[in-house]
Amino acid sequence: MALTEGDDPLYGSGSGFSKILLVRHVDYFPLLNTGLLAARRKMKLWVLAVLISFAGYSLSEEENVARLLASKNVLNQYLVEGRDLTVQYTIFNIGGSAALDVNLKEESFPEQDFEVVKGNLNVKWERIAPGTNVSHVVVLRPLQFGYFNFTAAEVSYKPSENAASAVVGFTSAPGEGGIVGSKDFDRKFSPHVLDWLVFAIMTLPSLTIPFLLFYRSKSRYDTPKPKKN
Amino acid sequence: MSSKKDKAQKSLTKEEELLLQDFSRNVSTKSSALFYGNALIVSAIPIWLFWRIHQMDLYQSGILFAVGTLVSTYLVAFAYKNVKFVLKHKIAQKREDAVTREMTKKFSDDKKMTRKERDERILWKKNEVADYEATTFSIFYNNAFYLVLLILCSFYVLKNFSPMFNYLMSVGLAAGLLALFSTSNK
Repeated sequence: MALTEGDDPLYGSGSGFSKILLVRHVDYFPLLNTGLLAARRKMKLWVLAVLISFAGYSLSEEENVARLLASKNVLNQYLVEGRDLTVQYTIFNIGGSAALDVNLKEESFPEQDFEVVKGNLNVKWERIAPGTNVSHVVVLRPLQFGYFNFTAAEVSYKPSENAASAVVGFTSAPGEGGIVGSKDFDRKFSPHVLDWLVFAIMTLPSLTIPFLLFYRSKSRYDTPKPKKN
Repeated sequence: MSSKKDKAQKSLTKEEELLLQDFSRNVSTKSSALFYGNALIVSAIPIWLFWRIHQMDLYQSGILFAVGTLVSTYLVAFAYKNVKFVLKHKIAQKREDAVTREMTKKFSDDKKMTRKERDERILWKKNEVADYEATTFSIFYNNAFYLVLLILCSFYVLKNFSPMFNYLMSVGLAAGLLALFSTSNK
Protein backbone atom coordinates (compact mmCIF):
# COMPACT_ATOMS: atom_id res chain seq x y z
CA MET A 1 0.00 0.00 0.00
CA ALA A 2 1.63 3.42 -1.09
CA LEU A 3 1.96 6.36 1.24
CA THR A 4 -0.09 9.46 0.35
CA GLU A 5 0.21 13.03 1.62
CA GLY A 6 -0.85 13.31 5.21
CA ASP A 7 -0.07 9.72 6.09
CA ASP A 8 1.89 8.95 9.14
CA PRO A 9 5.41 7.88 8.04
CA LEU A 10 5.42 4.92 10.45
CA TYR A 11 1.88 3.77 10.55
CA GLY A 12 0.68 4.84 7.11
CA SER A 13 -3.01 5.18 6.37
CA GLY A 14 -5.97 3.55 7.99
CA SER A 15 -7.60 3.85 11.31
CA GLY A 16 -8.29 1.60 14.28
CA PHE A 17 -7.42 -2.08 13.70
CA SER A 18 -6.67 -1.63 10.02
CA LYS A 19 -3.52 0.41 10.56
CA ILE A 20 -0.62 -0.98 8.66
CA LEU A 21 2.87 -0.52 10.00
CA LEU A 22 5.29 0.75 7.36
CA VAL A 23 9.01 1.20 7.88
CA ARG A 24 10.59 3.70 5.53
CA HIS A 25 14.31 3.44 4.93
CA VAL A 26 16.23 6.69 5.79
CA ASP A 27 19.55 7.09 3.95
CA TYR A 28 22.01 8.83 6.37
CA PHE A 29 25.19 7.92 4.28
CA PRO A 30 24.20 8.30 0.61
CA LEU A 31 27.68 8.30 -0.87
CA LEU A 32 28.94 5.34 1.13
CA ASN A 33 25.91 3.25 0.29
CA THR A 34 26.24 3.89 -3.42
CA GLY A 35 29.84 2.65 -3.30
CA LEU A 36 28.90 -0.45 -1.39
CA LEU A 37 26.16 -1.27 -3.87
CA ALA A 38 28.51 -1.05 -6.77
CA ALA A 39 31.00 -3.28 -4.97
CA ARG A 40 28.31 -5.87 -4.35
CA ARG A 41 27.30 -5.90 -7.99
CA LYS A 42 30.92 -6.39 -9.02
CA MET A 43 31.30 -9.26 -6.56
CA LYS A 44 28.24 -10.99 -7.93
CA LEU A 45 29.55 -10.72 -11.45
CA TRP A 46 32.91 -12.20 -10.42
CA VAL A 47 31.28 -15.14 -8.67
CA LEU A 48 29.12 -15.79 -11.71
CA ALA A 49 32.15 -15.66 -13.97
CA VAL A 50 34.07 -18.10 -11.79
CA LEU A 51 31.16 -20.54 -11.71
CA ILE A 52 30.70 -20.44 -15.46
CA SER A 53 34.36 -21.01 -16.11
CA PHE A 54 34.47 -23.92 -13.64
CA ALA A 55 31.44 -25.53 -15.27
CA GLY A 56 32.97 -25.02 -18.66
CA TYR A 57 36.22 -26.51 -17.46
CA SER A 58 34.38 -29.51 -15.97
CA LEU A 59 32.39 -30.13 -19.12
CA SER A 60 35.44 -29.98 -21.26
CA GLU A 61 37.30 -32.26 -18.90
CA GLU A 62 34.40 -34.85 -19.10
CA GLU A 63 35.42 -35.60 -22.63
CA ASN A 64 38.93 -36.58 -21.55
CA VAL A 65 38.44 -38.54 -18.31
CA ALA A 66 36.72 -41.71 -17.28
CA ARG A 67 33.79 -41.67 -14.90
CA LEU A 68 32.54 -44.94 -13.49
CA LEU A 69 29.14 -45.75 -12.02
CA ALA A 70 28.94 -49.06 -10.15
CA SER A 71 25.92 -50.98 -8.98
CA LYS A 72 25.67 -53.96 -6.65
CA ASN A 73 22.55 -56.16 -6.79
CA VAL A 74 21.44 -59.30 -4.99
CA LEU A 75 19.73 -61.45 -7.60
CA ASN A 76 17.93 -63.87 -5.23
CA GLN A 77 14.23 -63.65 -4.57
CA TYR A 78 14.71 -65.51 -1.26
CA LEU A 79 17.81 -65.41 0.92
CA VAL A 80 18.08 -68.75 2.68
CA GLU A 81 20.64 -70.07 5.15
CA GLY A 82 22.85 -72.69 3.50
CA ARG A 83 21.63 -71.93 -0.03
CA ASP A 84 23.39 -69.98 -2.78
CA LEU A 85 23.16 -66.20 -2.82
CA THR A 86 24.12 -64.42 -6.06
CA VAL A 87 25.56 -60.90 -6.04
CA GLN A 88 26.05 -59.05 -9.32
CA TYR A 89 28.33 -56.04 -9.74
CA THR A 90 27.99 -53.88 -12.86
CA ILE A 91 30.38 -51.04 -13.67
CA PHE A 92 29.44 -48.47 -16.31
CA ASN A 93 31.95 -46.01 -17.82
CA ILE A 94 30.02 -42.87 -18.67
CA GLY A 95 33.14 -40.77 -19.19
CA GLY A 96 34.95 -39.85 -22.40
CA SER A 97 38.07 -41.86 -21.75
CA ALA A 98 38.93 -45.40 -20.74
CA ALA A 99 39.14 -46.16 -17.05
CA LEU A 100 42.45 -47.81 -16.15
CA ASP A 101 43.43 -50.20 -13.33
CA VAL A 102 39.89 -50.69 -12.18
CA ASN A 103 39.69 -52.52 -8.85
CA LEU A 104 36.57 -53.82 -7.25
CA LYS A 105 37.05 -54.62 -3.57
CA GLU A 106 34.29 -56.33 -1.62
CA GLU A 107 34.89 -56.54 2.14
CA SER A 108 31.37 -56.47 3.51
CA PHE A 109 30.84 -60.25 3.73
CA PRO A 110 32.54 -61.62 6.88
CA GLU A 111 34.06 -65.09 6.51
CA GLN A 112 32.25 -66.46 9.54
CA ASP A 113 28.86 -65.48 8.08
CA PHE A 114 29.34 -66.09 4.36
CA GLU A 115 31.14 -68.76 2.39
CA VAL A 116 32.33 -67.96 -1.13
CA VAL A 117 31.03 -70.65 -3.48
CA LYS A 118 32.09 -69.17 -6.81
CA GLY A 119 33.78 -65.97 -7.93
CA ASN A 120 36.20 -63.52 -6.31
CA LEU A 121 35.53 -60.71 -3.91
CA ASN A 122 38.50 -58.70 -5.28
CA VAL A 123 38.48 -58.14 -9.05
CA LYS A 124 40.70 -56.13 -11.42
CA TRP A 125 40.09 -54.85 -14.91
CA GLU A 126 42.98 -53.29 -16.83
CA ARG A 127 40.74 -50.95 -18.72
CA ILE A 128 37.07 -50.26 -19.23
CA ALA A 129 36.44 -48.46 -22.51
CA PRO A 130 34.28 -45.34 -22.51
CA GLY A 131 30.61 -45.99 -23.05
CA THR A 132 30.89 -49.66 -22.06
CA ASN A 133 30.11 -51.67 -18.98
CA VAL A 134 31.43 -54.78 -17.29
CA SER A 135 29.74 -57.11 -14.86
CA HIS A 136 30.95 -59.53 -12.27
CA VAL A 137 29.04 -62.17 -10.33
CA VAL A 138 29.91 -63.72 -7.00
CA VAL A 139 28.03 -66.69 -5.51
CA LEU A 140 28.00 -66.81 -1.72
CA ARG A 141 26.38 -69.06 0.84
CA PRO A 142 25.02 -67.56 4.07
CA LEU A 143 26.08 -69.62 7.09
CA GLN A 144 23.63 -68.05 9.52
CA PHE A 145 20.11 -66.70 9.38
CA GLY A 146 18.90 -63.27 10.44
CA TYR A 147 18.94 -59.72 9.12
CA PHE A 148 22.03 -58.62 7.19
CA ASN A 149 22.88 -55.16 5.91
CA PHE A 150 24.26 -55.41 2.37
CA THR A 151 26.59 -52.40 2.13
CA ALA A 152 28.52 -50.95 -0.79
CA ALA A 153 31.72 -52.34 -2.27
CA GLU A 154 34.69 -50.10 -3.13
CA VAL A 155 35.70 -49.27 -6.69
CA SER A 156 38.97 -47.55 -7.49
CA TYR A 157 40.31 -46.56 -10.90
CA LYS A 158 42.53 -44.14 -12.78
CA PRO A 159 40.42 -41.69 -14.75
CA SER A 160 43.16 -41.08 -17.30
CA GLU A 161 46.70 -42.17 -18.14
CA ASN A 162 48.15 -39.02 -16.72
CA ALA A 163 46.15 -39.17 -13.50
CA ALA A 164 48.37 -38.86 -10.44
CA SER A 165 46.20 -40.85 -8.09
CA ALA A 166 43.32 -43.27 -8.33
CA VAL A 167 39.73 -42.20 -7.87
CA VAL A 168 37.88 -44.15 -5.18
CA GLY A 169 34.16 -44.63 -5.31
CA PHE A 170 31.49 -47.00 -4.01
CA THR A 171 28.88 -49.19 -5.58
CA SER A 172 25.21 -48.89 -4.71
CA ALA A 173 24.13 -50.71 -1.53
CA PRO A 174 21.25 -53.18 -1.75
CA GLY A 175 20.25 -52.46 1.84
CA GLU A 176 19.03 -54.72 4.61
CA GLY A 177 17.85 -58.20 3.74
CA GLY A 178 16.47 -61.04 5.85
CA ILE A 179 18.16 -64.43 5.56
CA VAL A 180 15.55 -67.11 6.28
CA GLY A 181 16.50 -70.19 8.29
CA SER A 182 16.75 -73.42 6.29
CA LYS A 183 14.10 -75.16 8.45
CA ASP A 184 11.57 -72.40 7.90
CA PHE A 185 12.24 -72.39 4.18
CA ASP A 186 11.92 -76.17 3.89
CA ARG A 187 8.74 -76.13 5.94
CA LYS A 188 7.20 -73.69 3.47
CA PHE A 189 8.60 -74.68 0.09
CA SER A 190 10.10 -78.14 0.05
CA PRO A 191 7.84 -80.71 -1.71
CA HIS A 192 8.80 -83.52 0.70
CA VAL A 193 7.95 -86.15 -1.90
CA LEU A 194 10.02 -88.85 -0.24
CA ASP A 195 8.62 -88.06 3.20
CA TRP A 196 5.03 -88.36 1.96
CA LEU A 197 5.89 -91.62 0.24
CA VAL A 198 7.31 -93.08 3.44
CA PHE A 199 4.23 -91.86 5.33
CA ALA A 200 1.98 -93.61 2.82
CA ILE A 201 3.95 -96.84 3.19
CA MET A 202 3.72 -96.59 6.99
CA THR A 203 -0.04 -96.12 6.96
CA LEU A 204 -0.69 -98.97 4.51
CA PRO A 205 -0.58 -101.80 7.08
CA SER A 206 -2.97 -99.95 9.44
CA LEU A 207 -5.49 -99.57 6.65
CA THR A 208 -5.09 -102.55 4.34
CA ILE A 209 -4.79 -105.36 6.90
CA PRO A 210 -8.06 -104.60 8.76
CA PHE A 211 -9.87 -104.01 5.48
CA LEU A 212 -8.64 -107.25 3.94
CA LEU A 213 -9.64 -109.26 7.02
CA PHE A 214 -13.09 -107.66 7.01
CA TYR A 215 -13.52 -108.19 3.29
CA ARG A 216 -12.50 -111.84 3.51
CA SER A 217 -15.10 -112.54 6.19
CA LYS A 218 -17.73 -110.47 4.38
CA SER A 219 -17.26 -112.27 1.10
CA ARG A 220 -17.56 -115.62 2.89
CA TYR A 221 -20.79 -114.84 4.75
CA ASP A 222 -22.45 -112.23 2.61
CA THR A 223 -25.95 -113.15 1.37
CA PRO A 224 -25.95 -112.77 -2.44
CA LYS A 225 -28.63 -110.38 -3.77
CA PRO A 226 -31.37 -112.03 -5.89
CA LYS A 227 -30.82 -111.40 -9.61
CA LYS A 228 -33.55 -109.47 -11.41
CA ASN A 229 -34.63 -111.08 -14.68
CA MET B 1 -32.09 -131.81 43.51
CA SER B 2 -29.63 -129.08 44.21
CA SER B 3 -27.27 -130.29 41.40
CA LYS B 4 -30.11 -130.07 38.81
CA LYS B 5 -30.87 -126.55 39.94
CA ASP B 6 -27.15 -125.66 39.67
CA LYS B 7 -27.01 -127.05 36.10
CA ALA B 8 -30.13 -125.08 35.12
CA GLN B 9 -28.65 -121.98 36.67
CA LYS B 10 -25.38 -122.59 34.79
CA SER B 11 -27.19 -123.02 31.42
CA LEU B 12 -29.23 -119.87 32.12
CA THR B 13 -26.04 -118.13 33.14
CA LYS B 14 -24.40 -119.16 29.85
CA GLU B 15 -27.28 -117.76 27.81
CA GLU B 16 -27.32 -114.67 29.94
CA GLU B 17 -23.61 -114.34 29.50
CA LEU B 18 -23.97 -114.64 25.75
CA LEU B 19 -26.75 -112.05 25.71
CA LEU B 20 -24.78 -109.75 27.96
CA GLN B 21 -21.78 -110.15 25.71
CA ASP B 22 -23.91 -109.41 22.70
CA PHE B 23 -25.53 -106.26 24.04
CA SER B 24 -22.73 -104.90 26.17
CA ARG B 25 -20.21 -102.31 25.10
CA ASN B 26 -17.50 -104.05 27.09
CA VAL B 27 -14.88 -105.82 25.04
CA SER B 28 -12.82 -108.81 25.93
CA THR B 29 -9.20 -108.48 27.04
CA LYS B 30 -8.02 -109.72 23.66
CA SER B 31 -10.12 -107.15 21.80
CA SER B 32 -9.01 -104.44 24.18
CA ALA B 33 -5.35 -105.27 23.57
CA LEU B 34 -5.99 -105.27 19.82
CA PHE B 35 -7.71 -101.89 19.99
CA TYR B 36 -5.08 -100.20 22.12
CA GLY B 37 -2.26 -101.68 20.04
CA ASN B 38 -3.75 -100.40 16.78
CA ALA B 39 -4.59 -97.05 18.33
CA LEU B 40 -1.01 -96.64 19.52
CA ILE B 41 0.39 -97.41 16.07
CA VAL B 42 -1.94 -95.03 14.25
CA SER B 43 -1.36 -92.29 16.85
CA ALA B 44 2.42 -92.61 16.53
CA ILE B 45 2.48 -92.35 12.72
CA PRO B 46 1.87 -88.54 12.62
CA ILE B 47 5.14 -88.02 14.54
CA TRP B 48 6.93 -88.82 11.27
CA LEU B 49 5.01 -86.09 9.46
CA PHE B 50 5.75 -83.46 12.08
CA TRP B 51 9.41 -84.42 12.31
CA ARG B 52 10.13 -84.50 8.58
CA ILE B 53 7.71 -81.97 7.09
CA HIS B 54 7.10 -79.49 9.89
CA GLN B 55 10.77 -79.80 10.89
CA MET B 56 10.12 -80.39 14.58
CA ASP B 57 13.11 -81.67 16.50
CA LEU B 58 12.50 -85.20 17.86
CA TYR B 59 14.40 -84.74 21.11
CA GLN B 60 13.19 -81.25 21.91
CA SER B 61 9.57 -82.17 21.24
CA GLY B 62 9.81 -85.69 22.71
CA ILE B 63 7.60 -85.01 25.71
CA LEU B 64 5.00 -83.28 23.56
CA PHE B 65 4.95 -86.21 21.15
CA ALA B 66 4.58 -88.70 24.01
CA VAL B 67 1.68 -86.82 25.59
CA GLY B 68 -0.06 -86.35 22.24
CA THR B 69 0.34 -90.00 21.32
CA LEU B 70 -1.06 -91.23 24.65
CA VAL B 71 -4.08 -88.94 24.57
CA SER B 72 -4.74 -89.84 20.94
CA THR B 73 -4.38 -93.57 21.69
CA TYR B 74 -7.04 -93.38 24.39
CA LEU B 75 -9.49 -91.43 22.22
CA VAL B 76 -8.97 -93.61 19.13
CA ALA B 77 -9.45 -96.81 21.18
CA PHE B 78 -12.63 -95.28 22.60
CA ALA B 79 -13.82 -94.64 19.03
CA TYR B 80 -12.95 -98.22 18.02
CA LYS B 81 -15.14 -99.64 20.83
CA ASN B 82 -18.11 -97.41 20.07
CA VAL B 83 -18.10 -98.00 16.33
CA LYS B 84 -17.65 -101.74 16.85
CA PHE B 85 -20.67 -101.87 19.16
CA VAL B 86 -22.91 -100.07 16.69
CA LEU B 87 -21.71 -102.12 13.72
CA LYS B 88 -21.93 -105.49 15.45
CA HIS B 89 -25.74 -105.57 15.54
CA LYS B 90 -26.09 -104.43 11.95
CA ILE B 91 -23.60 -107.06 10.75
CA ALA B 92 -25.22 -109.78 12.90
CA GLN B 93 -28.54 -109.18 11.18
CA LYS B 94 -26.93 -109.29 7.76
CA ARG B 95 -24.88 -112.44 8.38
CA GLU B 96 -27.58 -114.38 10.20
CA ASP B 97 -28.84 -116.36 7.22
CA ALA B 98 -25.41 -117.22 5.82
CA VAL B 99 -24.05 -118.31 9.19
CA THR B 100 -27.17 -120.38 9.94
CA ARG B 101 -26.90 -122.08 6.56
CA GLU B 102 -23.23 -122.89 7.06
CA MET B 103 -23.64 -124.20 10.58
CA THR B 104 -26.72 -126.26 9.69
CA LYS B 105 -24.82 -127.87 6.85
CA LYS B 106 -21.92 -128.57 9.19
CA PHE B 107 -24.06 -130.21 11.88
CA SER B 108 -26.52 -131.93 9.60
CA ASP B 109 -24.63 -135.22 9.86
CA ASP B 110 -24.27 -134.99 13.63
CA LYS B 111 -27.50 -136.55 14.86
CA LYS B 112 -26.43 -136.67 18.51
CA MET B 113 -26.68 -132.89 18.81
CA THR B 114 -29.90 -131.56 20.22
CA ARG B 115 -31.77 -128.71 18.58
CA LYS B 116 -31.04 -126.47 21.54
CA GLU B 117 -27.31 -127.13 21.34
CA ARG B 118 -27.38 -126.49 17.59
CA ASP B 119 -29.17 -123.16 18.09
CA GLU B 120 -26.68 -122.22 20.77
CA ARG B 121 -23.76 -122.96 18.48
CA ILE B 122 -25.36 -121.02 15.61
CA LEU B 123 -25.91 -118.06 17.95
CA TRP B 124 -22.33 -118.27 19.17
CA LYS B 125 -20.97 -118.43 15.61
CA LYS B 126 -23.15 -115.54 14.54
CA ASN B 127 -21.84 -113.53 17.46
CA GLU B 128 -18.26 -114.46 16.66
CA VAL B 129 -18.53 -113.52 12.97
CA ALA B 130 -20.29 -110.25 13.77
CA ASP B 131 -17.71 -109.45 16.45
CA TYR B 132 -14.80 -110.20 14.10
CA GLU B 133 -16.16 -108.19 11.17
CA ALA B 134 -17.21 -105.28 13.39
CA THR B 135 -13.77 -105.18 15.01
CA THR B 136 -11.85 -105.21 11.73
CA PHE B 137 -14.11 -102.72 10.00
CA SER B 138 -14.10 -100.41 13.04
CA ILE B 139 -10.29 -100.37 13.03
CA PHE B 140 -10.11 -99.72 9.29
CA TYR B 141 -12.81 -97.01 9.29
CA ASN B 142 -11.46 -95.16 12.33
CA ASN B 143 -7.85 -95.31 11.10
CA ALA B 144 -8.80 -93.86 7.72
CA PHE B 145 -10.99 -91.16 9.27
CA TYR B 146 -8.32 -90.22 11.81
CA LEU B 147 -5.58 -89.88 9.19
CA VAL B 148 -7.78 -87.79 6.89
CA LEU B 149 -8.79 -85.49 9.75
CA LEU B 150 -5.18 -85.15 10.87
CA ILE B 151 -3.88 -84.25 7.40
CA LEU B 152 -6.70 -81.74 6.87
CA CYS B 153 -6.10 -80.06 10.22
CA SER B 154 -2.32 -80.03 10.03
CA PHE B 155 -1.76 -78.99 6.40
CA TYR B 156 -4.80 -76.86 5.62
CA VAL B 157 -6.52 -75.50 8.70
CA LEU B 158 -3.49 -74.97 10.93
CA LYS B 159 -0.71 -74.70 8.36
CA ASN B 160 0.32 -71.15 9.32
CA PHE B 161 0.64 -71.85 13.05
CA SER B 162 3.80 -72.83 14.88
CA PRO B 163 4.69 -76.55 14.59
CA MET B 164 4.13 -77.28 18.31
CA PHE B 165 0.70 -75.70 18.37
CA ASN B 166 -0.06 -77.38 15.05
CA TYR B 167 0.80 -80.82 16.45
CA LEU B 168 -1.22 -80.41 19.65
CA MET B 169 -4.29 -79.04 17.91
CA SER B 170 -4.17 -81.43 14.94
CA VAL B 171 -3.85 -84.56 17.04
CA GLY B 172 -6.33 -83.29 19.61
CA LEU B 173 -8.89 -82.25 17.01
CA ALA B 174 -8.54 -85.41 14.92
CA ALA B 175 -8.80 -87.79 17.89
CA GLY B 176 -11.46 -85.69 19.58
CA LEU B 177 -13.68 -85.49 16.52
CA LEU B 178 -13.21 -89.21 15.93
CA ALA B 179 -14.36 -89.97 19.48
CA LEU B 180 -17.26 -87.54 19.13
CA PHE B 181 -18.54 -89.00 15.86
CA SER B 182 -18.19 -92.53 17.24
CA THR B 183 -20.77 -91.76 19.92
CA SER B 184 -23.44 -91.48 17.23
CA ASN B 185 -25.91 -94.36 17.34
CA LYS B 186 -26.41 -94.57 13.57
